[in-house]
Amino acid sequence: MKAYDVVVIGAGAIGTSVAYHLCEKGYEVALIDHGDIANGSSSHCDAVALICDKQPGLDTQMGAASIALYKELAAKFSYDFEFDQKGCLYVCETESEYEAASAYANRQAQDGYDMSMVDAKTLAEMEPYLAKDLIGGIWTPGDAAMSPYKVCFAFTEEAKKLGLKVYTYCSIQKILLGEKNQVEGIETDQGTIYTKKIINCAGVWAPDVGKMAGIEIPIQPRKGMNLISEKTKRIVWHKILEFGYMMSKFDDINFKRNVSPLVEEYNVAFNIEYTNDSNILLGGYRGFRGFDARSEIEAMKAIAERGMRFFPCLKDINCIRSYAGVRPFVVDHLPIVSDVEAVPGFYIAAGHEGDGICLSPITGKIMAQVVAGEKTEFDISKLKFSRFEKNVL
Amino acid sequence: MIEKDVVIVGAGPAGLAAGIEASKAGANVLIIDLNIKPGGQLFKQIHKFFGSSAHRSGTRGMDIGMLLLREAEENGVEIWLKSTVIGLFPGNKVAVEKGLENEAKEVVTILAKKIIVATGASENVVRFKGWTKPGVMGAGAAQTMINVNHVKPGEKVVMLGSGNVGLIVSYQLMQAGCDVVALVEAAPKIGGYAVHAAKIRRAGVPIYMKHTIIEAIGDETDCVKEVVIAEVDDKFQPISGTEKVIEADCVAIAAGLKPTVELTRLLNCEFTFNGVFGGFIPLHNKNMETSVEGVYVAGDATGVEEANTALEEGRIAGIAAAQSLSLIADKEAEEKKDAIWKRLEMLRLGPFGERRLSAKEVVLAEYLNKVGMPQAEIKLKG
Repeated sequence: MKAYDVVVIGAGAIGTSVAYHLCEKGYEVALIDHGDIANGSSSHCDAVALICDKQPGLDTQMGAASIALYKELAAKFSYDFEFDQKGCLYVCETESEYEAASAYANRQAQDGYDMSMVDAKTLAEMEPYLAKDLIGGIWTPGDAAMSPYKVCFAFTEEAKKLGLKVYTYCSIQKILLGEKNQVEGIETDQGTIYTKKIINCAGVWAPDVGKMAGIEIPIQPRKGMNLISEKTKRIVWHKILEFGYMMSKFDDINFKRNVSPLVEEYNVAFNIEYTNDSNILLGGYRGFRGFDARSEIEAMKAIAERGMRFFPCLKDINCIRSYAGVRPFVVDHLPIVSDVEAVPGFYIAAGHEGDGICLSPITGKIMAQVVAGEKTEFDISKLKFSRFEKNVL
Repeated sequence: MIEKDVVIVGAGPAGLAAGIEASKAGANVLIIDLNIKPGGQLFKQIHKFFGSSAHRSGTRGMDIGMLLLREAEENGVEIWLKSTVIGLFPGNKVAVEKGLENEAKEVVTILAKKIIVATGASENVVRFKGWTKPGVMGAGAAQTMINVNHVKPGEKVVMLGSGNVGLIVSYQLMQAGCDVVALVEAAPKIGGYAVHAAKIRRAGVPIYMKHTIIEAIGDETDCVKEVVIAEVDDKFQPISGTEKVIEADCVAIAAGLKPTVELTRLLNCEFTFNGVFGGFIPLHNKNMETSVEGVYVAGDATGVEEANTALEEGRIAGIAAAQSLSLIADKEAEEKKDAIWKRLEMLRLGPFGERRLSAKEVVLAEYLNKVGMPQAEIKLKG
């Protein structure tokens, strides 16, 4: 095998984007995965890039930049990844939710994002099949949907045009480090690859790769599960989520919804989208089950129950299957996009939990800037790996 | 959550026999079936069975079905009908869409100590132009219509396939008052027993060997009105210029069966491909246990054979499940299972049976190779 400027590990939404952006900068890049492209979390997720589920500040800033980049890439790439800026509705069940949502939307609007409140009447006009007792919601017109695995293939195929070399079904056995602990290469089951720079984009598997370089990466697998309906007439036009979803995502313990014990137990929050193939994707459940990504019947029931609360007509539509995937969870809900001081030449771009698809383009762009030693688009000090090293002390 | 010792999927001969044996041993058994009546395919088998007297040769399938139902009832086996198992989940959870009185359905989860999958088989299709038109169906479906529902599938039937199903169903269609206008077979030789073929030939059914259906033509409502057949060459390709048009309003396809394996697939059971048994099947050991502990298979779901073999395999699975729950003493269970395996050997004789006997040995050997020794045997051998 030969030598590369940079080796990217992991061919999911993050790794393929990082590889593409590095190729764009003129680096000679290899992309390695133990399976195929989009074999892991990136093909077992939902399909949206939203800013309306982000915390104000850096999180939203990155989301918005990423969506803008998606739009640019959709126009530029010859590989179609089904980008569709259909907008997102965050719906509120109660007055108190509506109040919290208003405060949130106002804050985001002040920061310059296109986010506004809609009342019950407008909600009913925009989504006639929604339950009639909802108070209103947040409308974010810029939020988008796309095919998550096609995103991975699009980045890979476009990067190949720029010289990317892809090694699929290639297992890493050892990371070769020099005298100063610097990266020298990777031993794989397909031979040794020499490189001075490794980007660990292995998502939930990033800790395994980290161990080979002698570092502990605090990413845990968090299961996410969705239901898929039979093909059906259109009953939903935008991405819709319940405001409680945000609470679920960020584990706000002060927030309590009026839900059944089953929905409560499985921490299910309603979200729905209509796919290009006329199926409905209904979510969602998040839970810690290690790497066990099998479906759970109780979670399925809870998702269906919550779905019918917001879309009563779902009771007449059949569910044909469910699927689950593992998301790379980080305790502070921010990804790690960073170099690693202890191991010169070792970088991490992982830990996006449910935002990997959304943040794929911007993560790739920023990581390429970090590798090139350029000034990054945002201040990403909050995303530094060293934030965990300090915790250890 | 409802808890059961043994949950059996499918109330055909395998499932019923498994239920009877497990229940006799004292297990709390529930059988789930999506049909309106238990018995699987037995009730459409109005013909007498072949085989030894130990296997009720000379008895009609439907009568065997009645005997099994009575035995199940006497032993207190609970059966849910019009209920579909929609999934098997981690922790031995069985999700059921349970049929209620008023045609309503309810999703119920059952915690099962042991699961026996006896889901049977489904018919293979043959694709030709017009194969989705109304009037084209599986031979098994046609048989259900005449023998169970008492509805003629059509007036003039073209049967495709000369295996035993094709031959027997052709005869039964005639008994039901249909006109079998052609029996079409691509191979140069009749697939089933000569005695069945002779019977329908005597009844005047034209048999087209080395022929296949190339098109079903529909009328103004799209229902089948004509069937185009043609001779095939040695590579089973239609020979142009040999087409014949036959007036018919029904095509019955008897092209074999394949095991119904969705549930064992869901559980990630170890699989193998076996052409004799009809395709991909879950591996099992002599307890009928799959590679997933506590999950058993029996009958066509683990290799297409016949009702008698399904019944016997069901018995083994039922006994083994009860044994693993310590409801039967090991010695008694082993003796019972050994006796059944001997009976199964007798059933797997003759020109059709021998292939299955050796195929079964291959499956059992592959299990040992891939999965290992069954737990019970390890215990016995200390």
